[in-house]
Amino acid sequence: MAILSPDEKLAMIKVTPPDERELRSVESLQLGDYEIGFERTNNILEEAMEVFVRSSRSSMGVAGDSMVALCNAKGDLVNAACGTFLHAIIQPIIIKYILQNYSENPGIKEGDIWLVNDALYGGIHNPDVAMLMPVFYKGELIAWTIACSHTTETGASEPGGMPINATSRFLEGGNFPPIKVGENYVLREDLLEMFAAFGMRAPQMVVVDTKARATAAHRAVTRIVELADEKGVAYIIGLLRKMLIMAEEGARKKIQSWPDGSYTSVNFSDGVGLEVGLTRSSHMVLNKKGDRLMMDFTGTSPENPYSYNAHVQAIVGHISNFMYGYVFHDLPISSATFQTIDFYFPEGSVLNPDVKAATSCSVMIATGVMSAMHNCFGKMMFSTKHWQDVVASQGNAGNGQILAGLSQWNMPFADLLAYSLNTEGQGGRPELDGENAFGFPWCQYGRAPDIEEMENDLPMLIPLSNHWKDSCGHGKYRGGSGTVQIWVAHHAPMIFFMSIADNSKIQTPQPLFGGYAPSTVPGISVKNANIMELMKDKDSQLTLDLVEILEEKSISGDWTNEFFGRSIRPFNEGDIITFAFSAGGAGYGDPLDRDPELVIKDLRSQIISDWSADKVYHVVYNQESLKLDKEKTEQARAKERQNRIGRGKSFDVFCEDWSKEQIDEKNLRFYGTWPDAQVIEPIMRA
Amino acid sequence: METNKRVAITEYLDLDIESDQWICSSCGKELISSEENYKKGCLVYGKDPREVHNPLIKGEFNFAPDPEWVRIIEFYCPECGVQIETEYLPLGHPITHDIKLDIASLKDKLDQGEFVIINKKLEIR
Repeated sequence: MAILSPDEKLAMIKVTPPDERELRSVESLQLGDYEIGFERTNNILEEAMEVFVRSSRSSMGVAGDSMVALCNAKGDLVNAACGTFLHAIIQPIIIKYILQNYSENPGIKEGDIWLVNDALYGGIHNPDVAMLMPVFYKGELIAWTIACSHTTETGASEPGGMPINATSRFLEGGNFPPIKVGENYVLREDLLEMFAAFGMRAPQMVVVDTKARATAAHRAVTRIVELADEKGVAYIIGLLRKMLIMAEEGARKKIQSWPDGSYTSVNFSDGVGLEVGLTRSSHMVLNKKGDRLMMDFTGTSPENPYSYNAHVQAIVGHISNFMYGYVFHDLPISSATFQTIDFYFPEGSVLNPDVKAATSCSVMIATGVMSAMHNCFGKMMFSTKHWQDVVASQGNAGNGQILAGLSQWNMPFADLLAYSLNTEGQGGRPELDGENAFGFPWCQYGRAPDIEEMENDLPMLIPLSNHWKDSCGHGKYRGGSGTVQIWVAHHAPMIFFMSIADNSKIQTPQPLFGGYAPSTVPGISVKNANIMELMKDKDSQLTLDLVEILEEKSISGDWTNEFFGRSIRPFNEGDIITFAFSAGGAGYGDPLDRDPELVIKDLRSQIISDWSADKVYHVVYNQESLKLDKEKTEQARAKERQNRIGRGKSFDVFCEDWSKEQIDEKNLRFYGTWPDAQVIEPIMRA
Repeated sequence: METNKRVAITEYLDLDIESDQWICSSCGKELISSEENYKKGCLVYGKDPREVHNPLIKGEFNFAPDPEWVRIIEFYCPECGVQIETEYLPLGHPITHDIKLDIASLKDKLDQGEFVIINKKLEIR
């Protein structure tokens, strides 16, 4: 076997040096060739992405939680249409692996279609399936195109591709190293059947999504070949190399403009797999010197026996979500922007586990790193001209809620529903609130599906779909609001549900510059609920107001309130499967500095409650008319500032008392040694 | 000009490169030497998260972080009471030294003219 080591994978992300022909081709580019050519690649990839979305079947594919990328012949990432940035940065590992190991047998030929989903070989987690096509021009390999999306089924121990009960990779269903699944532009039927068999809980989704990836990658191949026809092969080779050179230059220039130093963020999660327990999911020290960055994750908790672990390149992928989305937003989505960025992931940590570890929920443990990026980069960049790219952490909850069973059309399905993923709140920003329901932290461009579309397909009714009041992290500029839906089982005798998430005890995002984190998320369901009867009854007093429903239990039935991450379980017609919460974003700045008129506006639009306006923002107003009392507000805020000075202790006195506190040891099973989170004992996996 | 010796490192924290002090940008109070963790110059309070996140429903899971797990550590300016920074930490977890600037490097770049300070922001020449 040729499993790549973590160091090998990190090295393969670095750009391969140019050869003589590439350098000559760069020299031969004419004035404007690079600028126009760069935009041509944008257009080609955007077109392929549109084809991809329209061809996909699963919820995340339809939402656009996917990516199409272009790499040069050596495998280095030149540009992408996203989508999911994290899928882009890992492609050089996969292509270089294919080039190194399979050039002779089975060979790399025009019309090949390759597939990979195994994180040991460069993937994120095995539900994320990449399909790659080499681009040949007159017999010469000149580029690669890739289409990648999250599939709904892997044939794992639980439906939906992200089993939370998996204790090793052997319970995660299909893990495929790079494999040739098509030749001469045709997918092999025998292998399609194999994927359908692995995905028998949702075969039509697995097969249609597989074809969609091939279709999207092929569209990009077609356009690149047309461009070569039009401009010549030297143009393509020179353009792709020039794009790498320019991307690296642009990244170096940005990094150079920030102050040298080290910036630290510590982030936690409150559960792994089926168990509640504290993890220091990211201890990130960002060291910056000159035009280089070093991200050191020493002090991150040890790997755990569940699937909440991530291989190193998956973490680089999550880092790229932030880098491409905010820091390098004006540069190509290119691996060359990472040329001066290095990483240290301690062996045996959740960010660098053993090869046998389950990693299908890598995206969940990686929320700590995603959140840390906002805080470390915010503190590094605020003093520079890039201050407007500073942003508090998005929700980063990734409340993955999976339904499985028979659809309304009597088709077997298992799906990770995109609505709750794609409507998280953005973090607060300098001079701006975070966007409400802005999107999917893993894919800022993803779209929340229409409710009618969900109801038409899935065996459920969604009587409530709103912003979730008080979900935002409060602050001078608050985080964007998350959302809430009520999912009622409907038009099916039975439906299975599970939930992949944490954030019920402690939220992972840290706030920024004096703001607060988003609220936590309980797992609420109601079996034998009477909501359908109440909706049919014209005299019913039922209002679809979340707070009222929760406070007054205006829907009767067998209520359950538990940890948001929940194992697979059945629901019957009329049951409230779950209150589907999508987290708000973290807050920015002192809430007492928030313009009180903005607080009133938030009250009118039901983004925050009277409770928060009073207790957090200290705003005084008429609760009926919502008319602001400026004078009393100023007095209330001045009083609260004085209260702070009165109750605050000196640092040393506080630390003396604080160091005597400790979270109950029963909650530290997955944490490692206290407080530095070192490995206590290795995990044995047969 | 005062602004030419101060850099806004965060929303509420200025760095004075002449006096080598962390400054509260809200009131101008000198907090502590810039070689130190600025948090040591703040007043510190550990807040029960239920004072910020409304526990809407009764029971263990109620929309507020669990006070048996976590406190919101708040850092205030001792002069004006502005909330300079916050951190959600498990009980007893050490406070993070989140910003360690390489002051010597910064001064060197300012001396060499590589950086200039304009409106409390660092700009590259």
